[in-house]
Amino acid sequence: MNHSDTANPLRRRLVAGGAGLLAGAGASALSGTALAQAATVNLPMVNGKRNLVAYPEKRPLIVLTSRPPQLETPFEVFNESLITPNDAFFVRYHNAGIPTSIDADTHVIRIGGSACGKPYDLTMAALRSQFKPIEYLAVNQCSGNSRGLFNPRVTGGQLANGAMGNARWLGVPLRDVLARAELKSSARQVMFNGLDIALFGGGDFVKSIDVDHAVDGEVMLAYQMNGADIPMLNGYPVKLIVPGYYGTYWVKHLSEIEVVDQTYEGFWMKPAYRIPDNDCACIEPGTAPAATRPIGRFTVRSFITSLQDGARIKAGQQSVVRGIAFDGGQGIREVAFSTDGGQSWRGAKLGADMGRYSFREFTFGLTPERGNHDLRVRAWNRSGQSQPMDALWQPAGYMRNVVESVKVTAV
Amino acid sequence: MNHPAHGKARITFVVAAIAVGIASTAMAAPKTIDLPPDGVQMTPSALPGYAKAQASCVVCHSAEYMLYQPPTAARPYWDSMVKRMKVVFKAPIDDADMPEIIDYLVKTYGNEQPK
Repeated sequence: MNHSDTANPLRRRLVAGGAGLLAGAGASALSGTALAQAATVNLPMVNGKRNLVAYPEKRPLIVLTSRPPQLETPFEVFNESLITPNDAFFVRYHNAGIPTSIDADTHVIRIGGSACGKPYDLTMAALRSQFKPIEYLAVNQCSGNSRGLFNPRVTGGQLANGAMGNARWLGVPLRDVLARAELKSSARQVMFNGLDIALFGGGDFVKSIDVDHAVDGEVMLAYQMNGADIPMLNGYPVKLIVPGYYGTYWVKHLSEIEVVDQTYEGFWMKPAYRIPDNDCACIEPGTAPAATRPIGRFTVRSFITSLQDGARIKAGQQSVVRGIAFDGGQGIREVAFSTDGGQSWRGAKLGADMGRYSFREFTFGLTPERGNHDLRVRAWNRSGQSQPMDALWQPAGYMRNVVESVKVTAV
Repeated sequence: MNHPAHGKARITFVVAAIAVGIASTAMAAPKTIDLPPDGVQMTPSALPGYAKAQASCVVCHSAEYMLYQPPTAARPYWDSMVKRMKVVFKAPIDDADMPEIIDYLVKTYGNEQPK
């Protein structure tokens, strides 16, 4: 963590709350949980006060819900590195029956379904040893990331911008696993279920994608995240990776794959996780969409990470502002920045290309005159898609990607 | 599907502490975690729906689901959520209790809170 404390209100609050270990002060008489529970953070929304708690295998994260756990990554983590550490990666469950003890040696993925010619059970040992692994960096982002910033507000999980992360996933292409199952020509969709269950038997979290998508060679059954076991709360021991697509499809603790000859329309595919079926996936606030479709790929986003809104910086002194951009898999082509609230724009410098599903770093130099500055960044992907200057709206609060504004004061 | 056993109200696992620290043997131990308690409780109220909501809602999920909604959330939202819990998730809620639960929710967390 190489950012300054003055630019980081959350860190200051953590230190003030007694989290001595985080500040490098060494031993403390309190347990980690007690320390974390002493800390709170105020997200930039009405009713935005949240607890920071260290869940298993996690550092203190922003608690959206305790049970089942839904944890948001504090935004300054995105300035630490382009790869989000496992212990800081966001967590999102839907039902409270989550597994808390899993033996990977006995875990099995059951593969079958009406359009599967040769059903079989896949063990973790077989997954690791009988297929050729692939590896890539990919951003996972919650569909409702930034929902709490919608105006007018919408109901649902009130997240700021931290329900996203970039990790290196190692696993086996779903295509190769399905090839062994000898799909019938009638195969239309592939359904995915994990070990998490609904406590009263309704609304089990099951997702589906079209079979063409499932065999694209990129959709992956991952058994490692950033070179280590996947944390329990992120889907140990095996997680479905659907790069470029919102996290709702990234099924955790994957235990069942069914190939079916129809479009699956369970609760979590319909009516949940639907977007307006038009070009912008948006409608006038307060109205209802005429038709909907399942949510799909990420929209283009970009964030300044080295400065937080409201920061005070030194006038007349040159510094490098940095940030991240990503999209649904085309790859980032260009990032522009403005220091005058979007009146004029110049090109930012792109960092190394770490793959078209990864965060892409950008930087630009800033030598601010004394006074207030409204910093904005805007990214374009390789097919020319970008970000709106004014936020789009939809009733479920998905896919927010407005050009962000970071207001700083140079003194 | 080979689900591990789940308790209903609170999930507790006896083996939680044992699995830590014996990972160096050839057979890998199960990965086991112990989850922290709920960070918030339902907001107390004199409304009759408070006790019923405590019995019906937090059996399955913690109170942040209600507490963190925007205070603009109107009665139709709370009404549809309570009905969703019963219809979709099969939560054991008596139909007769629903009006008071919804009334408590909208007056405690929604746009009918006293100013």
